[in-house]
Amino acid sequence: MPIQTAADSISNSAGSPYGFKNRIINGAMAIDQRNSGSSTTPSGDAYNLDRWQAASGTAGSWFTFQQSNVVPANFTYSLSILSTGANSVSSGSIYVLQQRIEGYNVADLGYGSSDAKPITISFWIRGSVTGTYGLVVTNGAMTRAYPITYTINSANTWEYKIVTISGDTSGTWLKDNGIGMRLVFQLGTGSSNTLTAGTGWVTPSGGAYGVTGTTNLSATNAATLYITGVQVEKGSQATAFDYRDYGNELRLCQRYYYQRNIISTSTDYIAVLQCFNTGGVYGKLFDLPVTMRATPTGSMSSITHFRASTSGGNGTTSFSAGSIDVLSPAAVGTQGWSGISGLTGGNATVITASTVPSWIAVSAEL
Amino acid sequence: MYKQILNRDTTLNEYCIVRTNDNACIPFDPDNKDYQEYLKWLAEGNTPEPADE
Repeated sequence: MPIQTAADSISNSAGSPYGFKNRIINGAMAIDQRNSGSSTTPSGDAYNLDRWQAASGTAGSWFTFQQSNVVPANFTYSLSILSTGANSVSSGSIYVLQQRIEGYNVADLGYGSSDAKPITISFWIRGSVTGTYGLVVTNGAMTRAYPITYTINSANTWEYKIVTISGDTSGTWLKDNGIGMRLVFQLGTGSSNTLTAGTGWVTPSGGAYGVTGTTNLSATNAATLYITGVQVEKGSQATAFDYRDYGNELRLCQRYYYQRNIISTSTDYIAVLQCFNTGGVYGKLFDLPVTMRATPTGSMSSITHFRASTSGGNGTTSFSAGSIDVLSPAAVGTQGWSGISGLTGGNATVITASTVPSWIAVSAEL
Repeated sequence: MYKQILNRDTTLNEYCIVRTNDNACIPFDPDNKDYQEYLKWLAEGNTPEPADE
């Protein structure tokens, strides 16, 4: 009896129904660590929902982003995009919504080699402006790109879109913790940064942030676009959305961004640090829930939102100086928070928030 | 735009730099996107503010 190999039964060129089928993280728009459902109108590159970056180049605050419950059947959330004015694009304009996919998560696609496999992109979209829209798949450096168009046929109606593209046998496609692939939705991009559809894989001479001759949502005041169920999978067939449980989806996001929200000034202890004199502390604040992609950038709501306990209980004054300046992919800490009094050098002290909401965040976004 | 910081012993922190618009600490890790932007800013001829004494 011949031995059946994996290649006989499960072709490596096909999508897998198991494991990490969808290479997009937070494709169902459920995770919103930064804003907890609040809207943002960024003036520069920024994240509203986890993993989805609004990249605006030199454009202004053209769009408001927010997690929404306007959804197609069987979804709970979408990403709402609202145009803040009638902002016509110039040739050099760039405004896109993009997800940068880590190289480890697309390495098996074989891009940049003769083993490159096709991928299928699928998503739900609902727009107030009908027309043809632009979407681009690129490598990390945007030196290879595949421009795609899709059509919104009916205003304010959910539509399911499917696109299959061939694998790219050329170019440099990172397979490590750098940017392996970008999925770029055009929102307001000018001709210097667009590509011609129908050309397959190309080496862009300019930017790869859109498709020539397509609709720029930015040009219509109060235009809306909702998107959810975004999936990028290996193979030529679109399959059902890869619904992942909330906890795992959150952890996938936390490889790139983690926000520790402090919810109480009395019962939400943050850390126990060592006092280095009567007014300052240092040490490890906390381990991170997931090993991050790289050493993260550390930030906090404000140093004045935090305090230390003294012999009499919670400190009545807050720190006035310090930052999240001890950073690794696994943990965060501080070299020193200072500006209070009543501590005893060498002792340990409990760190709490002096006001809520307050937060400490780390970012290792691509 | 960027500012150096001191360790608690007042020596210069040689592992990260502060971005002044949001007080975020950026580690000197070549894989960190914010550090890549800092390097680009330095390459344009800029220099960070010195740390407060």
